[in-house]
Amino acid sequence: MSDLAPATDRRDRPVAPAVPTTGVTPAPVQSPRARATERTIGVLALVGTAFTVWLGLWVTPPDRTQGDLVRLVYLHPGVAWVALYLAFGLAAVSSVLYLWPRTRSLFWDRLAAAAVEVGVVFNVCTLVSGSIWGKPTWGVWWAWDARLTLTAVLLVLFLGYLAIRRVPAEPEVRARRSAFVALFAVLDVPLVHFSVNWWNTLHQGATVLNPGLTLKIHGSMAWTLLLGFVALTLAFVWMLLVRYRIGVLEDWLDANELGAALVERRSEGAGASAGAAGSAPIDPVGVA
Amino acid sequence: MRYIVAGYVVILSLLFLYSVQLVWRRRRLARAVARVVAAGAGHEGPTVGTLPAAGGPT
Repeated sequence: MSDLAPATDRRDRPVAPAVPTTGVTPAPVQSPRARATERTIGVLALVGTAFTVWLGLWVTPPDRTQGDLVRLVYLHPGVAWVALYLAFGLAAVSSVLYLWPRTRSLFWDRLAAAAVEVGVVFNVCTLVSGSIWGKPTWGVWWAWDARLTLTAVLLVLFLGYLAIRRVPAEPEVRARRSAFVALFAVLDVPLVHFSVNWWNTLHQGATVLNPGLTLKIHGSMAWTLLLGFVALTLAFVWMLLVRYRIGVLEDWLDANELGAALVERRSEGAGASAGAAGSAPIDPVGVA
Repeated sequence: MRYIVAGYVVILSLLFLYSVQLVWRRRRLARAVARVVAAGAGHEGPTVGTLPAAGGPT
């Protein structure tokens, strides 16, 4: 029997090797089609955002009551839409799909993690743009208004989600834990949405997603607002794809780095002992 | 008007910087994966991880 034959015990059953055979599993490869799709979405997002900025700053007229400040509205509801509804909504759906035994897969966990990270960035943009709009309109950078406060709470909750993911644990444990946190955090989204209807708030009512779904903005201003929504949605999709890919690579490295290090270490050890055998006749452990 | 320009600059800069960071992170990880794969392939010998058969020649 040669050294390459599978190891067997006395009952001729295969014995699992104590270490991985090669140390690494096949690397995750992104198909050219996926790469092309990602690039196309990225370019469309860039062009759409550039058009929104051009229309918002130079083409659309000032508002009758808000004056030029309305130009900030072409971005602010768009980033809020991406953060609250797209990103955190997707994170909630993915978390449910992970927790559901029939659909349980780390794919949903990675997708939720990617959506939350991108959503947190958009949530920060929402708060910052709202604050910059609030200073000249309300006279203050921040007010403890129901919508503003609940949006800030939402940011803290999802920062907590990202912190929970950093706690060392097995991938399945981390995924289950994170899914529960996401489902808890997302309960704040309907509170943020309906806060302007339920409480007497400083923040204005919804322009698009109001109870009657009637657009309260018209003409070129409406088109610019809607283009902003589309452009920022495309930007979100692009970021989500790239962030998901990062998750795949991180998981692969977590699973394979140890194996590769072991292989490398063993090879170094073999090289060193071969070198020692060739150059020095000393055998410190008495193997030779 | 300065508030409007500030709002656009802050939001677009944040999104741009985050995008650049994402691309940089992905590139760094892709390089790390390539390094690990190369290390695994380069040191993959016929005896690596293979236990000698019980009772067979060693």
